[in-house]
Amino acid sequence: MTTPGYAGKILKVDLTGKKVESIDTSKYEAFGGGYGMGVALFWDLCVAPGGWDLQDPFDPRNIVSLMTGPLAGTGLPYTGRTNVSGLSPQAWPICWFSRSNFGGSFSATLKMAGWDGVVVQGKAESPIYINIADDRVTLEDAQSLWGLNTWETQEEIYKTYSSKNHGRYGSEWQKIGDNYTTMLPSIVTIGMAGENKTRIGSLIHGGGSGAGQGGFGSVFGSKNLKAIAVIGTGSVKVADARAVRDAREWYSTKFPGRASSTGSAACTGCNRACRKRDATLGKDSDGCTESIWYNLPSPPFERTSTRDRSRAADIAQKYGINAFDICFGGPMAFPSPPDHPIQPAVPAHTGSGWYFKQLYDMGIIGPGKEIDTAPLPMEMYDQVEFAEAYATAICKRVGIGDLLAEGVARFAEAVGRISDMDTILRCPAWGFVDHWTMPSVEWAYGNLMDSRDINNHDMSLNSRTMTCEEVVKTAASGTLPCEGDAFMFDYSWQGEQAFETGVYSRHKAEFVAWRQHYATFYKESMLLCDWAFANLMSMASPDGKGATPETEPLFLKAVTGKDFKFADGIETGRKIWNLKRAIFSLQGRHRDMEKFAGFMCRPGASKAALGGRLPVYDGTKWEFQDCTDMYLDEQGVEHWKTAFYDVEGWDNMTGYPKRKTLEDLGLKHVADLLQARNKLGSG
Amino acid sequence: MARAPKAGNEKEQGKKYSRRHFVAGGGVVLAGGALSSYAAPTAAAAPAKASDYPQSTAYLVYDSRQCAGCQSCMLACSLVHEGEASLSLSRIQVTRSVLTRYPYDIQIAVCRQCPEPLCVANCPTGACHIDIANGNVRRTDESRCIGCQTCLESCPFTPHRTVWKPDASKATKCDLCTDAPYFSKPGGPSGQQACVVTCPMGALKVVHELPSQTDIGGYDVNLAPPPPPPGQFGFPGAKPKGSAKSAPEKL
Ligand code: SF4
Repeated sequence: MTTPGYAGKILKVDLTGKKVESIDTSKYEAFGGGYGMGVALFWDLCVAPGGWDLQDPFDPRNIVSLMTGPLAGTGLPYTGRTNVSGLSPQAWPICWFSRSNFGGSFSATLKMAGWDGVVVQGKAESPIYINIADDRVTLEDAQSLWGLNTWETQEEIYKTYSSKNHGRYGSEWQKIGDNYTTMLPSIVTIGMAGENKTRIGSLIHGGGSGAGQGGFGSVFGSKNLKAIAVIGTGSVKVADARAVRDAREWYSTKFPGRASSTGSAACTGCNRACRKRDATLGKDSDGCTESIWYNLPSPPFERTSTRDRSRAADIAQKYGINAFDICFGGPMAFPSPPDHPIQPAVPAHTGSGWYFKQLYDMGIIGPGKEIDTAPLPMEMYDQVEFAEAYATAICKRVGIGDLLAEGVARFAEAVGRISDMDTILRCPAWGFVDHWTMPSVEWAYGNLMDSRDINNHDMSLNSRTMTCEEVVKTAASGTLPCEGDAFMFDYSWQGEQAFETGVYSRHKAEFVAWRQHYATFYKESMLLCDWAFANLMSMASPDGKGATPETEPLFLKAVTGKDFKFADGIETGRKIWNLKRAIFSLQGRHRDMEKFAGFMCRPGASKAALGGRLPVYDGTKWEFQDCTDMYLDEQGVEHWKTAFYDVEGWDNMTGYPKRKTLEDLGLKHVADLLQARNKLGSG
Repeated sequence: MARAPKAGNEKEQGKKYSRRHFVAGGGVVLAGGALSSYAAPTAAAAPAKASDYPQSTAYLVYDSRQCAGCQSCMLACSLVHEGEASLSLSRIQVTRSVLTRYPYDIQIAVCRQCPEPLCVANCPTGACHIDIANGNVRRTDESRCIGCQTCLESCPFTPHRTVWKPDASKATKCDLCTDAPYFSKPGGPSGQQACVVTCPMGALKVVHELPSQTDIGGYDVNLAPPPPPPGQFGFPGAKPKGSAKSAPEKL
């Protein structure tokens, strides 16, 4: 019997053989859902068959999986996301196995159509799209859609469903099989960036729900897969409907979402409504980094107007391009200290739009130079028309756009300036642009041990009423099953204390391990949104305790009916994390590679900090301190890595997982395969 | 696009009332156009005699501009009534076309608890009835429903507010949570409704006066919270400058 919360089937589409199959979800339930299932499917479909070096994300053998979790579509808040995983074209220098996710209505609709996820392998001969209407799945010709932008594509697919107006004045019920719906299909699609196999194509759903990081839109493009459309008329079965609705009310009352204004938009089931229906120019387009990718750092530039930012946002959505990688500076810039390599202000996100202008200003690239900036009209850099020219050149791979289409890290490599990562090109690890990474070191370490920018918005610690010591103790009370260690939250970074209890200590290693296991399961596999979970602290509750660790098992128990313990999720997260580690090892990951970009170990590393006040323990007392001077010490990082590998049960010399670690997690077959390929940790 | 009135539609013959009668009977004759599906007797054009039907004591109204399209109300509706989360089984339908401009992107369809309920008038078995014991809410007694779909066809609105349950082959409709077996609050016209208590935007509300039956205006109402007083944009400690009446300090 299917466990409540799950649809019971995973859709597998082989584009080469034009075959559509159904996989029993129960086979993968031990991995929870979302990313967990994506990792396990990758292992079964890409690793286990052998004969492939797992390097090229555009190899038809690569899979791209779009997976939901048991909570999707149940009406519980913050559960609207769909996980995407596969080999990532954007990750550098190796196209690591990675992930991304997007919100909207796709995951709920997919569940109601009867599917827990879709996994796509192979390559179609010519452009197609996958059309899912409940259990009817067809591969439709998409030659007429190829070349359309992401919004046009969705509108065209809408038309195949109903000619009736889906606007304010009514859509009639339409019959799908024996059932009825008033809904439009939920569609995830690619634009020019994905079609032309840049490394930074994103997946776009609706106006601007998008999976940007990783470049999975380009994986779609490499498979000649234009879109996946789904309409679902069924239901998500839950173990205890009353408990589900009550859990929602309990949570929303105790931890109210941000007061939402008229014109907000939300993912299915969510109470946060973080997006906009009344976007300045576009249609539900300006939500996240895409809304500020063309925002010039001020100083030295004038502030970019909201209107111009929105125009650029619409371009990023329609072209389906990862706005993070091409960012012109991000939401704000921070005044730089006198001797900082970036003057006069350090932009939050040094994406390619910002970085290539530095090279131009330095005279390294430009008209007539070996690396010509044509076709970009450099004199128009501060006008929004430039944003369009820039995105177009990249998406069409014209002139310098061809180099930029490789992503900012490979661009730096192509112009022979990878050493800029020591100074001006701030990409902490694997070529992903800085994203509030420092001084919250668990974010930085998480990037390093994972394969992308981990998006760690959920770990902020602050309180208007509690002392620093109370804050760290409260936070530490939630990190089950290793609760009670307040030093997990110590950010002391200088002297002995940093090694004893601070950022290089075993405490920090344990915290990063906990945080990664938490995120791998609860956020990436159960798809709880990064904007609300984990929540170790909350000013909404009288004792300062956040929604974690009480809410997660409450939600899961109500939906699945299983007697779910918080620590079970952490353990499953550890299992998925280790399976992923095995994939990394096979791809070439080694301890020696796990090094931060040089700028992280130089003064100024934390200058683009969103809230740099962090708890610091000086050996006797706790105190919130401004940590924006923090930078890392290379020896310290190595010290931390040794502790971290030990906590994880990975080989200290190589970073490969050990047999015992894998076997304890029920992954003996993984240990055997690693051993056969000389990638098993010793001991 | 425009829906022509279903004049001469065979399905409508033999009914006591039809969509067409309903429109024409109200004295409003529309040759078509998007609004035709919402046309109902205006107050001015309504027959002088009061309805033969007792009026519902509660009406669900909404604010389609305030709504965030999260569909939480729909999922709550099907959870409390059917015990599973479904958009198709929800008795409130919120359709969002994300690529359509605000405010035309969201359409909300609620049962209007019509003064002259055609679903009740046309039901051949009395399954669709007026529940006198529960504030005259228009309800479906599923045990008496024979699945003939007359009530679906009778509903004069688009999309029809009566809902089809394919697994049971029965029709159902909004009962303002009078009979919501999985709802842990007292429901019904004088109680609470799952959609209303679940909506995070305050975009749904139950009122006890019959809304204007003209077009959709009586039901699609302004429920937006009042804007913050001048100078108070939600930042803690910010006080309106030079204002005699400063807002009371929240401690
Ligand atoms: S719960 Fe409220 S905001 Fe969400 S769809 Fe329903 S009416 Fe709109």
